Amino acid sequence: MAGVLVFGDTVGGALAPASLEMAVAGAALAQALNEPLTGALIGDDLAAVAAEFNGGFATLHLIEGKHLRPYTARSAIAAAKAAIDAAAPSVVLFPHTLETREWVPRLAAMLDTGLVMDCTALNAEGSDLVVSKPVYGGGVTAQYVVRGNIRLVTVRTGVFEARAGAATGAVNKIAAVEPAAGRVTLIDEAKAAAASGVRLKDAKVIVSGGRGLGGPANWHYIEETAAAIGGAVGCSRPVADSGWVSSAHQVGLSGTSVKPDLYIAVGISGAVQHLAGISNSSTVVAINLDGDADMFTRANYGVVGDYKDVLPGFIERAKQLRG
Amino acid sequence: MNIIVTVKQVADPNIPPAHIQLDPDGKRIISPFGVPPVINGYDANALEEAIRLKEKHGGKITAVCLGDDSSRESLKYAVAMGADTAILINDPDLVNGDSATVGRALAAAIKKIGGCDLVLCGRQASDTDGGQVLHWIAEALDLPTVVPVTKIEAVEGQQLTVHRLIEDGYQRIKVELPALLGVSSEINEARHPSVRGTMAAGRAMIAGWKAADIGLAAQTPKVELRELQIQVRTTKAELIPGSTGAAQGAALADKLHELGLI
Repeated sequence: MAGVLVFGDTVGGALAPASLEMAVAGAALAQALNEPLTGALIGDDLAAVAAEFNGGFATLHLIEGKHLRPYTARSAIAAAKAAIDAAAPSVVLFPHTLETREWVPRLAAMLDTGLVMDCTALNAEGSDLVVSKPVYGGGVTAQYVVRGNIRLVTVRTGVFEARAGAATGAVNKIAAVEPAAGRVTLIDEAKAAAASGVRLKDAKVIVSGGRGLGGPANWHYIEETAAAIGGAVGCSRPVADSGWVSSAHQVGLSGTSVKPDLYIAVGISGAVQHLAGISNSSTVVAINLDGDADMFTRANYGVVGDYKDVLPGFIERAKQLRG
Repeated sequence: MNIIVTVKQVADPNIPPAHIQLDPDGKRIISPFGVPPVINGYDANALEEAIRLKEKHGGKITAVCLGDDSSRESLKYAVAMGADTAILINDPDLVNGDSATVGRALAAAIKKIGGCDLVLCGRQASDTDGGQVLHWIAEALDLPTVVPVTKIEAVEGQQLTVHRLIEDGYQRIKVELPALLGVSSEINEARHPSVRGTMAAGRAMIAGWKAADIGLAAQTPKVELRELQIQVRTTKAELIPGSTGAAQGAALADKLHELGLI
């Protein structure tokens, strides 16, 4: 067992951007371990995505089969095992997604090997694999040594830079064998109706409100501010729990993790799970009456004041500037 | 329907980051005075779902926890919510085990209990966000799993129809019992214990099992925690001045416009 195997991912038939981040994380680790780097993709129509993903790998393993989309854990595990058998790696990296969170731990249990999920740093110490990940909602970083013949790691997306170009390697096509029907059967997929306004996950600008607003009657301040600057509306957990707004707006580890260019937090204290959910935001603004609120520790800009005075002034000026 | 719910006691996730402290070994966080540990949020959702299934279909709910003696508080909370029985695995050799060890210990306990129709777990615990233990349980017991589950749509004989969260909606999935589901917070809003429930919990006998009681052999760790480090947070926010709130708001708009953000 030697080498680092990197799994890419596809979304709607296209290469998921995280795939190229995995390639970078894998290349650095392979170099540190002095072991070869190989890649793998699982899916139903991989020619185009494979051409985009191929780069820097000794070999790119493609495991193709119609039954691999839509996703089921059983098929993904069987396909991944085929790639792992072909590559015989000592370390396997996966992007951390809703899918890998389900099937990679089961794979680890089947292979009886070590796994750490949602890692933000990977290091080799001799032949030891040392990984770090945020815990306690992001307030603390944990460092783990991963053991086993095939050490598995899922890597948080948005942490590593995406790979630019790299020399393409050999391609190894493996026909995926559809596993026998199991005790879990996919009936169908229902796509959520497009929520009104911009989807939080993809929003470039988000205005979020917290308990500091005082009550649902004041929620219009958040909606008006968001409307004035073309942003999506977010909220903290207590606000969603109290039913002021739908939990679809909830930002944070237990809600939606967001990565806007601008995140404006109004009356949000800054609990760890909220801060973790906005960790990939570029510019954060905190507006709070309490200057000691933890939200200010993450903010790039802060306004210590009453939002009932600050936001109308902000809206009026923003409208002029954007007018 | 006989249901086993796994429970983990965790540091309160609402501890302000500035108040997080580590123990001298740097392996655990110490809950600040006055902020006691709580039942993991997703596990409370799992319990709530178990109670709703029991209300409709009958059966028995057993809450199982692996943790030190202080975890009895979370098991009492589980009983107060509506669990019929609670069992604590409080073997010091297991308490700091990795996911594989904890999962296999819980699986062994479930076997000792005599199995069940459904194992409900939280999708992950809010302290380490590991998300693995449920899968090690399922593999040890050869159970089919679905994670993260946002709804149990139908119960028909030995078959469940559930919703599994995906990025832009959900999958509808049929799963045969016995099975293990990892539930997400979308599934329900966990109830608060009633006074009657809390009184019942006060009288509840909570068994304490060791590795020998569940026939668990010594485990070799696959993942070792080396250390925890507190993320240092300092306020580096540039404060926006202004004689009035409205002036601050206008100055903020100017600043963000200058940066090309609005």
